[in-house]
Amino acid sequence: MNLFNLFNRRKNREANTLILQNNNESYWKIVRQQFKKNKIAVYSLRVVFIFIFIALFADFIANEKPLVAKYNGNVYFPVMKEYAVDLGFSDWHDEFRNVSWRGLKYDWVVWPPVPYLPRNIDVSNTWVGPFDDQNVESTRWKHWLGTDDLGHDVLAGMIHGTRIALLVGLVSMGIAAIIGIFFGAVAGYYGDEKLKMSIISILLYVIGFILAVFYAFGTRSYALADAIGSSFGSFMWEFLLSILLFIAIIYIFKLIASLAKKLPFKVKEISIPIDILISRLIEIVVSIPQLFLIISIAAVVAKPSIFIVMVIIGLTTWTGIARFTRAELLRIRNLEFIEAANALGYKEWRIIVKHALPNALSPVLIAIAFGIASAILIESTLSFIGVGVPAETITWGSMLSKARAVSSAWWLAIIPGFAIFITVTIYNLIGEGLTDAMNPKLKK
Amino acid sequence: MLKYIFKRILIFIPTLIVISLLTFVISINAPGDPVETMLNQNVGGEGRSGEKLASEKTYNEKRKELGFDLPLFYFSFTNKTYPDTLYKIPKKAHRETLQRLSYEYGIWKNVSTYYQALRALEFKVFEIMPSDENSSKLRNIKDNLNSLYLTHNENEIKQIIETVEFDIFKDSNIKKTVETDFFELKNSFEHLIYNKKIINRYIPTIHIYGFNNQYHNWISNFIVGEFGISYQDKRPVSSKIFDALKWSMILSILSIIIAYIVAVPLGVKSAVDKGKTSEKIITTGLFLLYSLPNFWIATMLIQYLGDGDGLGWFPTHGLGELPKSAPYWDRFFETAYHFILPLFCLTYASFAFISRQMRGGMLNVLEMDYIRTARAKGLKKQVVIWKHAFRNSLIPIITLFANIFPAAISGSFIIEVIFSIPGMGQLTLQAIFQRDYPIVFTVLMFSSILTLVGILIADIMYAFVDPRISFSNKKS
Repeated sequence: MNLFNLFNRRKNREANTLILQNNNESYWKIVRQQFKKNKIAVYSLRVVFIFIFIALFADFIANEKPLVAKYNGNVYFPVMKEYAVDLGFSDWHDEFRNVSWRGLKYDWVVWPPVPYLPRNIDVSNTWVGPFDDQNVESTRWKHWLGTDDLGHDVLAGMIHGTRIALLVGLVSMGIAAIIGIFFGAVAGYYGDEKLKMSIISILLYVIGFILAVFYAFGTRSYALADAIGSSFGSFMWEFLLSILLFIAIIYIFKLIASLAKKLPFKVKEISIPIDILISRLIEIVVSIPQLFLIISIAAVVAKPSIFIVMVIIGLTTWTGIARFTRAELLRIRNLEFIEAANALGYKEWRIIVKHALPNALSPVLIAIAFGIASAILIESTLSFIGVGVPAETITWGSMLSKARAVSSAWWLAIIPGFAIFITVTIYNLIGEGLTDAMNPKLKK
Repeated sequence: MLKYIFKRILIFIPTLIVISLLTFVISINAPGDPVETMLNQNVGGEGRSGEKLASEKTYNEKRKELGFDLPLFYFSFTNKTYPDTLYKIPKKAHRETLQRLSYEYGIWKNVSTYYQALRALEFKVFEIMPSDENSSKLRNIKDNLNSLYLTHNENEIKQIIETVEFDIFKDSNIKKTVETDFFELKNSFEHLIYNKKIINRYIPTIHIYGFNNQYHNWISNFIVGEFGISYQDKRPVSSKIFDALKWSMILSILSIIIAYIVAVPLGVKSAVDKGKTSEKIITTGLFLLYSLPNFWIATMLIQYLGDGDGLGWFPTHGLGELPKSAPYWDRFFETAYHFILPLFCLTYASFAFISRQMRGGMLNVLEMDYIRTARAKGLKKQVVIWKHAFRNSLIPIITLFANIFPAAISGSFIIEVIFSIPGMGQLTLQAIFQRDYPIVFTVLMFSSILTLVGILIADIMYAFVDPRISFSNKKS
């Protein structure tokens, strides 16, 4: 056993020296090789790909409309057409407006594998289980995973719920990654003494920041609020405008500050303890009880939306990513290649973004993998208790909560719960696999 | 050590201020008018002018009693359109409309004139005695005027004013009484829209309000332990919360203790037995347990072991209903029996997590040279594991406490809701659905404080376990 350990340790040392050579390509190659050795993690990744496939093609797998149909001598593609209509490129023919798609007399028709949408109500089949006798025309219309109290098809809900589960992980961790990497990088790279500014610049930046907040978000608050009310897309657009305005104002003040540097007299430069400030901010965010905060915010939002939940999760979970990034950058900033870049006179932002950050990404990836798992868990918890997620949105959590009403509905208890469990598990497994692959030293 | 604790508590203060500000911002943005919720009535609408005056008076008195007639904060930093005396307008819904109008047209004075004209007209309308022929018209006018209070859209307002005009001029009696006031309203609105000053939106302004404001009063009451009154049953929030906190704390603390008791030996065993089949099964099992959503397990347990349609082994609802007169031990066992399932659901995830960490820490320590030395000098395996390795691998486990404690609090939230245990979770959820915000925000503050305390305890324990860490001598 000891011999094996010794051998292992030598291998690890080799791997470590390889990493330190800072050859990105070979580093990621090692990571990939190490990751591939972990069979379970590889299979988990494949399951994620299957989920992504289901989420992308949910409309084609489970839909009330036919995929292809010949009706009155013309061939139609109603599912495809729906995308065009939703995007505003096209409009439904009069004969298809407000029709029950199942009731039409087609010449021939190809239905999706699951001929239901999650919101379709089947009055003659409420609370039927997968093995119960169902009141359907043929096996084609069978509810393979049963229905709930209103006759919603569980399988269709599961398929479309995949979309929400994956989206929650993606959006919330995307937000968390942007905030976390930014704060972590600034805190880690500059530390407490590296960021030096003259008092005039500091003042200008503070004023610039306040004005940027004022113009980008203060005066635009009604535009933003109205956009939330209308649709998510328009909100994102308005929000993007605000962000651009914010950056523009900060940039103007940056220009003024650089002009102020050229003043004839010398202003004393002081170092800003940016690391302490950001660490304190992280400490504050960490000590806010996340679930209670999300529940309180979700409770007071006038119009509940799954996207608000995602944003709040993102805004409260960036601390882990920030901590990892900070720790990595504290290490990296003292390495030779950063010194070299400094000596070459590169701008500091360029050094951080192009040289330091790519080498600090591995722990961030791990944190993101685990973060996605916990984000999915939080979202399903919220929809389970029915807070923050609109009642008409069908998610895995909201389906599971229906099992509480009727305890004989075992399929509603087992199937959505199992889906949540599997999703959380595979993300955790991927996180484990990444940890092993990126820190061969820790691999035991 | 004391110095360190003191310093930590000093750091609490900014954290708590930030959390309280956050809570406050959420609370003022909460939908619904708290005064109306308290009074359980909708002021205005039907009735004569005398009744309307009386109900507005009670509304204003209640508002004053609750302290909602004060400015929100010590200062405000807004654009020039923001009305600095807005807080004097009684109704929340009206304030929102007026603020929006002021933003749209830029001059608060004109909006204020428009509002006064609207109120004057409304009072005149309420003074008219309803008779058989004009009662439906009067009601129309009242409804329309009421909706004017809530509309900021220019076209909508114009349309409503036109409708009101139509109704007023059809009845000569009504026309005679309210004509002048109506034209005043119409003129003031036209004056408002024709004197737009949008530039005001882009001029930042600061107003100072001083210490007599809502936030100051709320936070100073909070510090002395007055958390307000529940909107629903008018009981003090503090008594409601302490009743609930009792059960939540019992659940969380029991769960943490059990989790540590089970997890530590399990973690040590799986580290020592590394490579054996039994260890592999335990490790995989722990990993799966860790990923199992506890609300799912709770639902399943209720379904299959609960007393509804399941096997009927365990009660699944509340804490038992024995009267207070029943013998103490009977009540104790009844409650304990009700605790089994919730406690299990609350505990398994954290014990899986702790034992995985314990295993990792133990594996690290077992590789150290001094362990090999201890074995080499002939110490028994058990002695080496428990005396040399175990104590050193405890350090990461203790720091975990800082994570476990908040997790237990929020974890018990869901479990309490599912098992209908009258703890903080159920209290909060009910408060949210009934829009009983004083409870929601007190709970938010309390759970933040508990989280901070958990982190502090973890830090102190850390220092006790690891003598290499000394807080008092370190200068940072």
